[in-house]
Amino acid sequence: MKWSWDRFWIAMLERAPGALYVHTKMVLVALVVAAVISITIGILLTRPRLKWLGGIVLNILNLLQTFPGLAIVALAMPILGLGFKPAVFALIVQGLLPIARNTIAGLYGVDPDIMEAARGMGMTKGKVLYEVEIPLAMPVILAGVRTSAVYVVSMATLAAYIGGGGLGDLIVGGLNMIWPDFIVVGAGLGAVLAILFDRVLGFVEKKYTPLGYSAE
Amino acid sequence: MIELVNITKKYAGQEEPAVKGLNLLVRDGESCVLVGPSGCGKSTTLRMINRLIEPTAGTVLIDGKDIRETDPDRLRMGIGYVIQQIGLLPHRTVAENIAIVPRLYGWPKDKIRERTDELLELIGLDPETTRHKYPAQLSGGQMQRVGVARAMAVDPPIMLMDEPFGAVDPIARNHLQDEFLRLQSVMRKTICFVTHDINEAIKMGDQIAILDRGELVQHGSPLEILSNPANDFVCDFIGYDRVVKKLSLCRAGSISRKDFCLIRESELPAAAKKMEEQRAEVSFLVDGKGVPRGMLTAKWLKDNGSAFTPKELKALASQGHKGFIQEDTLLRDALSLLLELDLDYLGVLKGETLCGAVSMADIRQYASGKEGD
Repeated sequence: MKWSWDRFWIAMLERAPGALYVHTKMVLVALVVAAVISITIGILLTRPRLKWLGGIVLNILNLLQTFPGLAIVALAMPILGLGFKPAVFALIVQGLLPIARNTIAGLYGVDPDIMEAARGMGMTKGKVLYEVEIPLAMPVILAGVRTSAVYVVSMATLAAYIGGGGLGDLIVGGLNMIWPDFIVVGAGLGAVLAILFDRVLGFVEKKYTPLGYSAE
Repeated sequence: MIELVNITKKYAGQEEPAVKGLNLLVRDGESCVLVGPSGCGKSTTLRMINRLIEPTAGTVLIDGKDIRETDPDRLRMGIGYVIQQIGLLPHRTVAENIAIVPRLYGWPKDKIRERTDELLELIGLDPETTRHKYPAQLSGGQMQRVGVARAMAVDPPIMLMDEPFGAVDPIARNHLQDEFLRLQSVMRKTICFVTHDINEAIKMGDQIAILDRGELVQHGSPLEILSNPANDFVCDFIGYDRVVKKLSLCRAGSISRKDFCLIRESELPAAAKKMEEQRAEVSFLVDGKGVPRGMLTAKWLKDNGSAFTPKELKALASQGHKGFIQEDTLLRDALSLLLELDLDYLGVLKGETLCGAVSMADIRQYASGKEGD
């Protein structure tokens, strides 16, 4: 195993931009879809009619969370084949869990007295959801998105195994060819991307935390 | 007018109904306090009026109309609702919280802003400094006031209040109660008020409804309830100081007697004779400007005959120089003063001038008198 600065710069300048673009695209698509699905699930499961299901689903999600990422990617292959789409699908599955869990926890955590007061003033159930429950649960939901983002960024490196592309190509290629420079570029940029997502979402989370909370 | 007709509420999975066959009438402009120990069904009853809870049986009528005919959200928009935990939206400013119901009604922005400022002033908060604050930046008492202001935003004729002053300290509570009574004396809203504190009920209610295990035990004015408790439960609930509580319902001016005489310092030696002539039990010593300086009672003079020099008489009279109260003093406080000064009589003042006298016997008579005597 020999380090080569030439290959390092090829990886950095020729391979990395494309890989980074595919990687980011994969992560963003998966994250947005996962957020939409799991926030919807979270909202539905906290409505009085489906409340009994909430606890059960939460337990299942906790269990699913323990599945290794590589196993999910591997399981997606025989069903969906190779390429970008199955990779994104696997990422969505892995990304659902933290967001749904936090959505449910966040909505459960809204002070029932505040909701009673809102209902008592004549707000419809929909208004209570949009104007009271979701804004108050937002910091917790966004924390879930943040956790999920970090998972998905790192998981997306595994997408290379099923032809999804991204930074995983550099790592897998590096491993096959025993090129440490490729591995370092792929893994390093993956880590940087994860940190970047975490920072950006942390900023959004802070911005969406109701001012009334931060005054406490 | 709120009318509860044969209201029963049985929660699923509970043997005993929370409210059993309750009948209650709250007239326009009147406040009715539902009071009882915890679990007596008072909050359940209140929530059935704005349909947060649906009764198992029975009807609630508002101004003669069955509330089930109105859409629940619409109904609630027209009823002010204050709860103990206040429930201000923590992510909205004070002004936005007050504007919730006006916004539901779709008021224009200018009108909402104007109304918000008006309400903030009404509840004694400065609009300029408070408007943009968040609930977390307010004290408990201020939050409670904002809660009340929010309920009054569209000036609903009916207000439901569930232990609205329960979460603040006793001094702030007393202050809020007084303020609310002052507002109510102008607004004359129809109010249903829930509390577990009998003293608050006596203070706040035109009518009191005492509940026990879901049933109405007694309904009447505070005076009726304190004078004629319906049964042992009511007696126990009111407490041993029932009679003293009754004294807090009456002001000195309304039972004061007029058979007293005024004497000047120069008339002191002839005081006994003057009192006898006027058949007065008590005389008050006044100075040149008519300001009271002391008192003499027939009993004191009789016990000691005419053995007094004018100087001694003056000293005797000035022993009672603190024994004067205003006509709006509560009898409870008058009694306390009588005991404190060890006197038999108190002079009742209207401003600076004497307008009557109250004796220990008068208070005793009021306390023991039944309603209608």
